[in-house]
Amino acid sequence: MTNAKLLSFDELKQKIEQESLKKEPRKQTVLIVSAGTCGQARGSLKVIDALENAIQKRGLKDRVAVKITGCHGFCEAEPNIIIKPGNLFYKNVQPEDAEAIIEETVLNDRVIDRLLYKEPETGETKSTGPDIEFYKKQMRIVLGDNEKIEPMKVEDYFAVGGYGALAKVLENMSPDEVIEEIRKSGLRGRGGAGFPTGTKWAFCRKAKGDKKYIICNADEGDPGAYMDRSLMEGNPHRVLEGMIIGAYAIGAGEGYIYIRDEYPVALKHISAAIKDTEALGLLGKNILGSGFDFSVRIYRGAGAFVCGEETAMIESIEGGVGVPRQRPPFPAAKGLWKKPTNINNVETWGNVPIIINKGADWYAKIGTEGSKGTKIFSLVGKINNTGLVEVPMGITLQEIIFDIGGGIHKNKKFKAVQTGGPSGGCLPAEKLDLPIDYASLIKAGSIMGSGGMIVMDENTCMVDVAKYFLNFLRDESCGKCMSCREGTQRMWEIVTKICDGLGEMKDIDLLEELAEAVKDASLCGLGQTAANPVLSTLRYFRNEYEEHILRKKCSAMVCREIVSAPCQSACPTDQEASVYIALIAQERFEEAFQVIRKDNPLPSICGRVCDHQCESVCRSGDFGEPIAIRALKRFVMDWAIENGKNTLPIQKSSRNNIKVAVIGSGPAGLSASYKLNLLGYDVTIFESQAIAGGMLALGIPEHRLPKSILNSDIDFILESGVQLKTNSTLGKDFSIDDLTDQGFKAIFIATGAHKSMKLAIPGETAEGVLPALQLLSQVNQGKEVLIGANVGIIGGGNAAIDAARVAIRNKNTEKVTILYRRTRKEMPAYEEEIEDALEEGIEIQYLVTPIKVLQENGKVTGVECIRMELGKMDQSGRRSPIPISGSEFTMEFNTIIPAIGERPDTSYIQKSDDIKTSQWDTIVADEETGTTSRENIFSGGDVATGPSTVVKAIGAGKRAAESIDRFLQGKPIAKEYKLSRPSVYIPPVQLTEEEIEDAHRAEIFRLPPEKRHKNFKEVALTMTKETAVKESRRCLRCELETKDGKNALGQNK
Amino acid sequence: MINMIINNLEVKAEEGWTILDACHFYGLEIPTLCYNPGLSNYGGCRLCLVEIGKPPNSKLVSSCTYPCEEGLEVHTDTKRVIQARKMMIELMLSVAPGSKVIQDLASKFGVTQMRFDVRNEECVMCGLCVRMCAEQMDGKAIGFQNRGYKRKISTPFDAKSKVCRECGGCMYVCPACQARCQGPNAEDPICNACLQMDPTCVDVYGEATCWMYDAGRCGTCVRPEKEELEKKESMSE
Repeated sequence: MTNAKLLSFDELKQKIEQESLKKEPRKQTVLIVSAGTCGQARGSLKVIDALENAIQKRGLKDRVAVKITGCHGFCEAEPNIIIKPGNLFYKNVQPEDAEAIIEETVLNDRVIDRLLYKEPETGETKSTGPDIEFYKKQMRIVLGDNEKIEPMKVEDYFAVGGYGALAKVLENMSPDEVIEEIRKSGLRGRGGAGFPTGTKWAFCRKAKGDKKYIICNADEGDPGAYMDRSLMEGNPHRVLEGMIIGAYAIGAGEGYIYIRDEYPVALKHISAAIKDTEALGLLGKNILGSGFDFSVRIYRGAGAFVCGEETAMIESIEGGVGVPRQRPPFPAAKGLWKKPTNINNVETWGNVPIIINKGADWYAKIGTEGSKGTKIFSLVGKINNTGLVEVPMGITLQEIIFDIGGGIHKNKKFKAVQTGGPSGGCLPAEKLDLPIDYASLIKAGSIMGSGGMIVMDENTCMVDVAKYFLNFLRDESCGKCMSCREGTQRMWEIVTKICDGLGEMKDIDLLEELAEAVKDASLCGLGQTAANPVLSTLRYFRNEYEEHILRKKCSAMVCREIVSAPCQSACPTDQEASVYIALIAQERFEEAFQVIRKDNPLPSICGRVCDHQCESVCRSGDFGEPIAIRALKRFVMDWAIENGKNTLPIQKSSRNNIKVAVIGSGPAGLSASYKLNLLGYDVTIFESQAIAGGMLALGIPEHRLPKSILNSDIDFILESGVQLKTNSTLGKDFSIDDLTDQGFKAIFIATGAHKSMKLAIPGETAEGVLPALQLLSQVNQGKEVLIGANVGIIGGGNAAIDAARVAIRNKNTEKVTILYRRTRKEMPAYEEEIEDALEEGIEIQYLVTPIKVLQENGKVTGVECIRMELGKMDQSGRRSPIPISGSEFTMEFNTIIPAIGERPDTSYIQKSDDIKTSQWDTIVADEETGTTSRENIFSGGDVATGPSTVVKAIGAGKRAAESIDRFLQGKPIAKEYKLSRPSVYIPPVQLTEEEIEDAHRAEIFRLPPEKRHKNFKEVALTMTKETAVKESRRCLRCELETKDGKNALGQNK
Repeated sequence: MINMIINNLEVKAEEGWTILDACHFYGLEIPTLCYNPGLSNYGGCRLCLVEIGKPPNSKLVSSCTYPCEEGLEVHTDTKRVIQARKMMIELMLSVAPGSKVIQDLASKFGVTQMRFDVRNEECVMCGLCVRMCAEQMDGKAIGFQNRGYKRKISTPFDAKSKVCRECGGCMYVCPACQARCQGPNAEDPICNACLQMDPTCVDVYGEATCWMYDAGRCGTCVRPEKEELEKKESMSE
């Protein structure tokens, strides 16, 4: 088909009508393939070839067509195919799938399930595009036509009514009417600053000048933003039409498209579009006989971020170095070649034809008071559905991230979202409810920018984020202004210093002062916003800066010099996991044992029941599976016991004859005693129960932690010289003052949290309601427990799972059901425990909450429950459960076991003791040093923090012992933090090719469910030597990546 | 004439004046560094900042480039101006502590601390040399290279300039070349007192440094890295 020149409005309108009528596919089936730059990068061109081959082979050319379009916005699904008719949506199509698609779907109308999209939140399969949550909440008025258009074919654009707006404008509207229409629509610049487009055009129209220019700013430079590229690639004529209309309104005779050369596909498409429109007479002299002349030229940018600034862009087009100019004079008065010039961003131009076609009133109905229409965001980062999303202004961040974006990748916790590119800011979880428009984002400390939106999860360090953007900006500053060039460089230096663990608190003040000065003193937008990454992270995440400086920690485990090995950094006991793993890899088990023993007083226990924070931060897990660190530790400990190496020459300091009392023999008390004993103190533990171990002995069932193992660790500590007094209860058998009188110079209180929380529902006192902890401790002590055949457990934590698994092992019990008010995703219990429980036949009911215990003659008969649904994110980043009214139902049970948490019981504290407690009955103690409101009393573990993990209690005990030592030696109690470093650097092992290929996490073997029936045999089995060595060799040895590590190894060679 | 308010005074300015011109005309002192009446206005050093408009919508602009506008309200000495200006001086000191001009500015405007790591580059990219060469000497031998923190002043492609006439105009206007308080490795990055007035440039650097080095003359704006220097030397041999 030739495109003859269109000479009048009527000819254009006829053309549009003609093409629109052809809209119905001429062939029966059309396969629409996304092939923007991102689609091509993911292999869409190969898919197209494969599809065409498959069609050719079957001689289906007349029936089936392949349509090559621009990006559909859904990066996660690239390359994706939409099959018309029917809108079937296939994601991540590979060339190998082509045959199946033609054979199954096209010829036999069968849907290929594996190519369908699955919702990340619910796992639901969706077969058509519009059903997918990602598209559902979007309003794709600008991007929507991408799916319908082959960008290289102008006919396709006519077919969707393209250039209709131009005909309307040239035939019926005066330039002033066009400007008025745009002004009325409320359209604001989409490039960043958000200046009202109509007003901008009016300035330029009114400016005096014999010649005027318009420029399309396609110099998209924000990292991770590609809205403009996608629009130019997918629908170049839409942008051109907008420009022609704008030129007509402003009175410009020439236009430039400043496009960065890194966008070859966009460049190709827009060049073709210009050629086609010129041939059609829609560009050039006397357009459609209206007497209006307009031509467009392309100027390719060399990829300088600063050239996105309008005056720098003008400078660049004129042939100079891209350096911003002083405004005023504004480009509208004196721009390109000193003539009035109007610059708008690609997306702004793309909105113009829509406003003309549908009317300003229609457009102004979309959005908020001050921000109208839709905005395209490029949603990237740690999010499930990455892609371009076009949403109405005023939508909340929550809707974009969790509804459209499908939530955070790998189910991690949301931390922040960065909007507006490098000049923007980071917003925290509290701002998720923020409706997005120009004003609200500025108020919150960020900007709309051109629409970059980077989602960050808990594994993102905000100081590192600031460093990243500063590095970008110090590179991309044009370098003219002292403030921006030197300011960004110096801010980067300071932040780098903080990330390297060398920061001081005064650096934060300097950073803030400098940031303000850079913002104030710089000439252009780049410099004026260059401080935003620092200012917004300081505003919302100051604690992270302080953590890096004061405690030499990076919780997100990002800053290499601070973290060294994440496993060690995450461990409250400072266990050198990467070192003992390195030793296991070389089969040096005895040394590995010594490394473990050195820092951990209860290693065998940790090897079984630790919540292994080390594994959740393990870098092997970032792109694969984490090292099985806990199991490796257990392997070493089991090996040591088996081979009689479970002894360590204890290097004790000489005795100083100072007496210290420890109250409670749980993990915190035991570790504090051990450490204090090593430091030379005479330690006595007072335990109220008959046996030592606290929650370890009472709360953890034997199938997870056998008695013999527990006792071997405890005996090790007692044998080192710690005294233990059982059956002596504080507040009953003795008081704090008694201890002081007996000559104890310091007291460490670690009595744990043993009081079960109440359900606070009617009927709770009925016979047959038994708190989980009571069940566990009685069973652990070998006492008879009476529970019924049908047991209901309430809660979703580890205690709930433990109670359920103990209950199912009870001889009378036949059925155990856990009721949890959220979903499995939110369940705090360990994943492997849940798996085990399900294997053992325990049923879990999600989204259910009991509201009443039912009873007959004072005995439990069941519970009345209500169903829940998940609502909005709460502060903890989890969706909060909301009852569904009218969904009440009853369940029958003989026994109900509430496991909804414990509290400390601190009723033993007398007013005269002068020890402060909190409203949660915890002892108020410093988390780091364990100091309480009374000078010689320290506290730690669950009694101070509320119920927490074993390893945290061990860490608290160790830290308290150190501060007790400093206190008794008359030194300042505050801890001096050092960068965490291993005590020894072990050279790495060389992996073979096969090992690298086959680097999978070792499987931990467990007793098969039938062998666990009604017994308390340990479920998890220890690793074999071969498995342990193989697993250890997988370790990435992060500690060797620090400067110290590199130096140490350099010396070793 | 343009009616303006500077520091609450109603003043008249001529068409085409910058705010700095007006301030100079009325005898208001504004510190400058990259400004030279004989050259075009640049606005790079950001020392001549003034605050325009009414808070909270006021902003800082460089007075040497901002044109006088009817009704414009200008303040030359607000806290915001002073803070930004002091920070600019501190930043300049951190890269060119050897410059007497900058040390004098520090003394004059009460900059008593320098909290950054000293980088002795002896160039603050004020661009006076570039403009001097192009506008007064009709040379265009030197210009800016690169952007951001990598920006430097040099001849095109770092090659020996064919158009440089070795007039020395660049050094004449350079705030770092003129006179040096201490050596390039001053112990104290802020001298705050005029220790000595001798131009030590040549003594300190000997035959080192910039495009002038290629021409057999000294200049201190550009110091090639030592290796680069050696490479050049070996090439010239």
